[in-house]
Amino acid sequence: MDTGEPEEFRGGECIMVHILWREFTDSFKSIRSILIILFLTFISYQSASFFENNPGLVEEFFSTGGAESSIYTAAISLIVLMFGFLFVFAISHDIINKEIEMRTIRLLVTKIPRWQIVIGKFIGILLFWVVTILISYVILTVISGTWHFLDYLQTILFLFYAISFVLFISTIVLKSKLTMFLGIILGISLPIVGLVSVFSDKWYMIPFKYLLPYNYMENASFSMLILLIIGIAYLLISVVIMRRRDL
Amino acid sequence: MKNIINVAQLAKRFGTTDVLNGIDLTIQEGEVFGFIGHNGAGKSTFINMLTGIINKSSGSFEIIGTSDQQLDDVKAKIGVMPDISNLYDHMKGIQFLRYMGKLAGDTRTKQDYIALMKDIGLEGAEKKKIKAYSFGMKKKISIAQALLGNPSLIILDEPTSGLDPESAINIRKLIVDLQQQGKTILLTSHNLDEIDKISDRVGILSDGKVKKLGTPDELKNNTSSELSVAIRTNPTLTSQKLAELSANWDFNVQFVTTKKKYVVVNVPHDNDIAKLSKELIHSGFQLFELRMEQQSLEDVFINSK
Ligand SMILES: Nc1ncnc2c1ncn2[C@@H]1O[C@H](COP(=O)(O)OP(=O)(O)OP(=O)(O)O)[C@@H](O)[C@H]1O
Ligand SMILES: [Mg+2]
Repeated sequence: MDTGEPEEFRGGECIMVHILWREFTDSFKSIRSILIILFLTFISYQSASFFENNPGLVEEFFSTGGAESSIYTAAISLIVLMFGFLFVFAISHDIINKEIEMRTIRLLVTKIPRWQIVIGKFIGILLFWVVTILISYVILTVISGTWHFLDYLQTILFLFYAISFVLFISTIVLKSKLTMFLGIILGISLPIVGLVSVFSDKWYMIPFKYLLPYNYMENASFSMLILLIIGIAYLLISVVIMRRRDL
Repeated sequence: MKNIINVAQLAKRFGTTDVLNGIDLTIQEGEVFGFIGHNGAGKSTFINMLTGIINKSSGSFEIIGTSDQQLDDVKAKIGVMPDISNLYDHMKGIQFLRYMGKLAGDTRTKQDYIALMKDIGLEGAEKKKIKAYSFGMKKKISIAQALLGNPSLIILDEPTSGLDPESAINIRKLIVDLQQQGKTILLTSHNLDEIDKISDRVGILSDGKVKKLGTPDELKNNTSSELSVAIRTNPTLTSQKLAELSANWDFNVQFVTTKKKYVVVNVPHDNDIAKLSKELIHSGFQLFELRMEQQSLEDVFINSK
């Protein structure tokens, strides 16, 4: 794949767009990511069809005060909440450390600033998820007849957090074998710990409550911006660590 | 001449080991500068600091008129082949170069990339995955990626090590060509002949410092003020016999070594060589050959330790 790169960014400033584009296109090329896309698409289609064929359920949900949009997007939202970390780890756990391990990073750092490598890779992965989730939402829109913008935004913000967290882990843990293992552990435990912490008042759960995204997901409100802020913090720390490192 | 690299008291320490302690060096625009030193002397460490691969411990440098703090601003003007770096194995040769080219701000067309691969000795390997390249082919494509984006300064860490003689000659030609296009080249090598041939100036790195610095000729002439002469005679001259004879001569001859059928001696002056030949013949030796032993960069290198 070396076609279609934007030509207009060939200036010195926007060279990171090439890192971004490569990361984005490479993300689609693994079996893992194709399976994940198929899985998400399948679930969205199935759940939307289910509710479409059972209008009684939708009306009942309505009458108890639920917003219509949430019932169609419930399945995909739930899957992203439960498996989002696992999926992002599966595709991107070695996004930084693999290049350091292989020392291909040297070819990059001698050409472009380190922050552009980190941020370029981040945006590339984010774009992959924006597109992947969009596919599911397009299906939902076609079936339900409405565009569930807020739910989409909420899911993307959650993934924004998850991607920056995974990138951070890949920056501080230099062995890709280890991050693969960690990815499985964290991918399973973070949702559990996160959800428990939201409803727990144990002191040791407090940091998880405020650092993990689940507490901010309850409703599509201003508090979701906190996800953005924590995610950006992970990215900034990753950039600082990368800048100090001998490669 | 303008300085393109200006290094002041640059130092690097890994943990508790000082690998480089205070490098002072200037490299001028348009020159080929050869850096030599034994394994582990710190050549790559030095290059890696200049190119932003590793961070300095102390000191400072300026490169293309920009301080090391702003290195990002001039990366586009520096082409680098690091000592160790893997390539993107899953890419095809041409695809790899085009990707590197984009990062380097290169604007050449696909045809030009194919031409570049041909120039560097990789004709026909464009569509092959890098995974399937031989060691030398990987080396060549690493050199090629350092040339992308029309850099004015090219830094090559051991560009010819592991290449077959013909390929090495090609790379040396390429370096000379690049210099003629006005580019500055900093390279390291363990092939001292090569350094001697293509470098305008040479630096010898040892004990974390630049021990010697100068043109190859300056270095070779500086090592000793004596003249070395290799002599082949019948009967073969021994060190013992030489000592015996020279006791009566009115000039100094110093035995150095024997090399196969030759005896190598040092004399202080030109006219001592004439005297030496006369005396040897006089003492009944048949003089077959008498030639000046050129100091090689290798001798300089060995003596610099
Ligand atoms: N990342 C590192 N951590 C610790 N020590 C290092 C590191 N990189 C290099 N060194 C040490 O620094 C010294 C200089 O290494 P360097 O690679 O610069 O030598 P060199 O002159 O390039 O040698 P060669 O001719 O073998 O390429 C060596 O003793 C090496 O062990
Ligand atoms: Mg080296």
